[in-house]
Amino acid sequence: MDVPVQRVVRPRTLDEALVMLAEQPRSRPIAGGTDLMVQLRDGRRSADTLVDLDGLDLAGVHEVDLGVEIGAATTMDAIARHPLVRRRWPALAEAAALVGAWPIQCRATLGGNLANASPAADAVPPLLVADAAVRLASPSGERTIALERFFRGPGTTVMAPGELIVAVLLPAPSAGRVVERFVKVGPRREQIISMVSLAGRAVVSADGTLHDVRVALGAVAPIPVRARRVEAHLEGRRPDAATRREAAARLQADIAPIDDLRAPAAYRRIAAAVLLDRFLEACHG
Amino acid sequence: MGEDRRQAARAPEVERVRIRLTINGEARGFEVAAGRRLLDLLRDDAGLIGTKEGCGAGECGACTVLLDGKPVTSCLVLAASCDGHAVTTVEGLGGSPGTMHPFQRALVTHGGVQCGFCTPGVAVTGAAILAGGHQPAEGARLLAGNLCRCTGYEKIFSALEAAAEEVRRDE
Repeated sequence: MDVPVQRVVRPRTLDEALVMLAEQPRSRPIAGGTDLMVQLRDGRRSADTLVDLDGLDLAGVHEVDLGVEIGAATTMDAIARHPLVRRRWPALAEAAALVGAWPIQCRATLGGNLANASPAADAVPPLLVADAAVRLASPSGERTIALERFFRGPGTTVMAPGELIVAVLLPAPSAGRVVERFVKVGPRREQIISMVSLAGRAVVSADGTLHDVRVALGAVAPIPVRARRVEAHLEGRRPDAATRREAAARLQADIAPIDDLRAPAAYRRIAAAVLLDRFLEACHG
Repeated sequence: MGEDRRQAARAPEVERVRIRLTINGEARGFEVAAGRRLLDLLRDDAGLIGTKEGCGAGECGACTVLLDGKPVTSCLVLAASCDGHAVTTVEGLGGSPGTMHPFQRALVTHGGVQCGFCTPGVAVTGAAILAGGHQPAEGARLLAGNLCRCTGYEKIFSALEAAAEEVRRDE
């Protein structure tokens, strides 16, 4: 069955797309459509006009002075396979390979994953530990904001009407022996929405102490969150049994999970602690 | 006037768009409703009913087709977005009508087809695995989006290995 929209327009340039988004009432951009098509069908999101981003050149991973810039229309499959992403942001590559399943990954885009603003979006915790920023464009110009300030709640972001995500910026990761992991819990690995997901990254010194520790979780709060209390506690410490126990306890104040159809809040609290422990175990080895 | 406007609100005019795309190697043109899904274009407008609709939400993989060589769930693809692109359905996997892809033949000989509903999607994803230079060992992850509730997958995986072997021999 057709999805209930009245019009689809196909801009050839970014400027054209921004004008269309600004001028067409009740318009929405569409890229891969893997979330939006189902939401339109089910009435969870609606639009009169779809602005199809297919003709724009918004895909690709580009090295820039400060790190890399991933175009908003880059597919999860392209991210999962990209040699530089796999080497320097392995948690992002791992998460991209776990969004839906392969036919979804070949169509779903990074920009779409952010715009959809699901608290459970798998690509987000790895981007949060990478200190990613989002580049937004509108007819009045561009702005770049930290991903940590991008989400407002389930399905909502700070984007103004007519603003479009054009790229995600990942600053070059810190030097040293870095341990980075993405782990998630769900009924199976593929094709499920995570009950809890966690990305962790830390520099492990020769003496085994952790530095520049970053931990982010999905599906445990209205938006994906950094676990700042956990990070502060782990900084400069060895991830021994006592430190791990304390980190798991502090984690509970960093998260605010709810009961929903996928998991009860109490389960999410336990699972989040287990995922944190798995990351710290990897740092210990 | 007021009555007309209320009428318009109840039944909004849906615009149609002209698109040109390549389906199974053949250049085709369609005029479709703005909200047309690729799946419906293939089955209802192009008459290619090999592609199946299961869940209609991208979860079962029955509607998988190749878009520019990559597997996608056609129930989630806006037909208008396919303008200028190439689609391959299960009917076109073998290259010419009536010819099967090595993986399709292997599915038959290894008993990888039981009720058959998932088969078009499985065949398409499997062909993409082989064409993409993936190892058959990656098959479990790459085929995880094609739900099969008959075979238990083992026969599908052995068919994939056999087809990979055949493709290697032919190269």
